[in-house]
Amino acid sequence: MNGAVPTTIIVVGLALAAYALVMTALNRRMTVPLLAAVGVLEILLLVEVGIIVAKLAGGERPAGLATLIGYLIAAPLVPVAAALWGLMERSRWGPAVIAVAGLVAAVLMVRLHEIWPAIHV
Amino acid sequence: MSEPLAPPEPTASPEPTASPEPTASPEPTASQADSTRTGPGRLLVAVYGLFALSASARAGVQIATKFSHAPVAYLLSAFAGVVYILATVTLAVGTPTARRIAVVSCSVELVGVLAVGTWSLADPATFPDATVWSSYGSGYGFVPLVLPVFGLLWLRRWTRRSRARRTTVTSAEDAAAAADGGVAHGEGGAPGQGAEDVVADGRT
Repeated sequence: MNGAVPTTIIVVGLALAAYALVMTALNRRMTVPLLAAVGVLEILLLVEVGIIVAKLAGGERPAGLATLIGYLIAAPLVPVAAALWGLMERSRWGPAVIAVAGLVAAVLMVRLHEIWPAIHV
Repeated sequence: MSEPLAPPEPTASPEPTASPEPTASPEPTASQADSTRTGPGRLLVAVYGLFALSASARAGVQIATKFSHAPVAYLLSAFAGVVYILATVTLAVGTPTARRIAVVSCSVELVGVLAVGTWSLADPATFPDATVWSSYGSGYGFVPLVLPVFGLLWLRRWTRRSRARRTTVTSAEDAAAAADGGVAHGEGGAPGQGAEDVVADGRT
């Protein structure tokens, strides 16, 4: 149960990256469905941050607390920053930015697990 | 990143121009295409920003919490972070001066990742903890190794573009500027290379 959200984030992040890269390859610009997918990823990341914060509030502590907090702040910002930056681009490179965000979200989950193995993936 | 490149169709103009020009014109009048932060640069700035943030934040935490553990590695991480920040900002700004600084940043970065990569493999004792550039950036999917190459390619193409445009614009009234542009073009290679550039643009 503990690992369901991070695993979902990895799957969604990679799927989003694949979708966005196909759009880049087909020379498409940013679309509403792509933005909606970014929104889903954002919600999942916020849920995961909530789960980890609850864990911290419960008194559990990882070895690298400072790094973990940095990740908790950075993770939800990634899709937002990518969406804003990608929307400013009216070419195929907008979706390419979204692809990076999807990959980063997946990588962040793996790194979170490395920082704090209590976060299952 | 390993995104697939589309075939060089003439319609694959990356610029958001509304004009139905079928030729892969590298420089339509749209002001958006007039910067290193648009088109492929959009992706480049995004990835650079990511590394600027991660490298400098990581170095900050490491220096603040356990500096004595691996001082060389952490200082190199901090240095890498500064170089990434500089490259991100200058690529995003995109003025001629900023582009020159960006070229220097990307070059330093390329030299850094090669030097530190080699150093970390030759003398692992100095690096009990990894830096962004350790083992040529293998911990980051070798993106740190590839990124400056793409950055420099992008900057070079953009510089050529603006030089070519400047030559076209001023050649009629300013022979000196035209000569300057011609010389600058000669630096890059054969005279035919300008046309090659145009074709290459359609691919991006």
